[in-house]
Amino acid sequence: MSTPSAKTATSGGKSTTKTTTTVVKTTTTTVTKKQPQQLSLTPRSVSSKTKRPKTRPNGKKAISSHTNRELNAGGLMRFSRGRMFQRRALHRINKWKGAQAKLQGDKTKKTAGSIQKKKQRKPASVKKPVGGERNGKQRTVLAKRFPRYYPTEERPKKFSAKRKTFGSHARRFRSTLAPGTVVILLAGKHAGKRAVVVKHLASGLLLITGPHKLNGVPLRRINQIYVIGTSTKLDLSTAKFDNLDDKYFKRVRPAKKNAEKDIFDSKKEV
Amino acid sequence: MTSSKKVEKPQGSYIKKGRLYVKAVFTGFRRGKRNQHENTALLKLDGVNARRETNFYLGKRCAYVYKAKNKTLVPGQKRLNRVRILWGKVTRAHGKSGAVRAKFRRNLPPKALGRRIRVMLYPSRI
Repeated sequence: MSTPSAKTATSGGKSTTKTTTTVVKTTTTTVTKKQPQQLSLTPRSVSSKTKRPKTRPNGKKAISSHTNRELNAGGLMRFSRGRMFQRRALHRINKWKGAQAKLQGDKTKKTAGSIQKKKQRKPASVKKPVGGERNGKQRTVLAKRFPRYYPTEERPKKFSAKRKTFGSHARRFRSTLAPGTVVILLAGKHAGKRAVVVKHLASGLLLITGPHKLNGVPLRRINQIYVIGTSTKLDLSTAKFDNLDDKYFKRVRPAKKNAEKDIFDSKKEV
Repeated sequence: MTSSKKVEKPQGSYIKKGRLYVKAVFTGFRRGKRNQHENTALLKLDGVNARRETNFYLGKRCAYVYKAKNKTLVPGQKRLNRVRILWGKVTRAHGKSGAVRAKFRRNLPPKALGRRIRVMLYPSRI
């Protein structure tokens, strides 16, 4: 999604040196920014007539020449790819950065900032002392040796330890579903009712409650996709819900009885 | 909001559960002039008239609800019911004017042409 810009920059391809400095500062911001999510149900959630603020939420200046916008919907953009390249002036920024790096004396670094963290390179070969009278006292030896074995076939790959199990995957929660938000339930027995998000559970589910006395929605878990977050938020910061986690809601199976015990019991009855 | 059983319902202001789906019509199968592909259905959503507006509906579940002669068990209901559902989902936009493509678990029957399809509001992304 592209951000519609309030002003269209009139400057063309060539810019003065004045704009170079400002352009450099903001290259780290992304060109396309997501709009803050509107919580109504209308599909067209972004009004094209609202003005863009001059400072972005992260405090950086919003430069209109960096943004592109859609024309009348349907995929046409105001500025073409080549034109956007010129407007963003990245080619000049990268050149400037290269020049800065050169000034600092380190040609391998691309950005001026990374020059600070210059790695100390270890020498490839090391002189080591050698015993024996007529051995020349020292040898030049490679600091890192070559492997002594090159396998002719690839070893069969086992599952790498890096592969995460599903249980350890990070669970993400929508920003509109923070604890304390009033949500609308979309499916299930209580569809259409409003409930309050109590807590985010470790399994990725939301813990919600009607509260039960108000509308009959019990304290239960629900998946985020069956819920619409509204803009109404309650302050639940003072309340604690530590005992309410996925374990609390786990289904309790009836304990298995020992078969022999049952037989004895029935005999006693007789 | 419907109140719990303990609280008395205020007179005259009983709020019904609203329609939690968007009305749509099954307009046809995906097709060229002379060939049609029944695995993809085309839906015309109520009130959605531009391609950009269809973004909200992508991925949403669709249901073709119909009645049959024999009664069957419906999940969530204890009694046997004549109502049956074919489930599907909105896959992508279709054209410039807000139509949408949907794929159902089983292809829609041609007698559903022109009939109501419910586009649910879940899986929700808002």
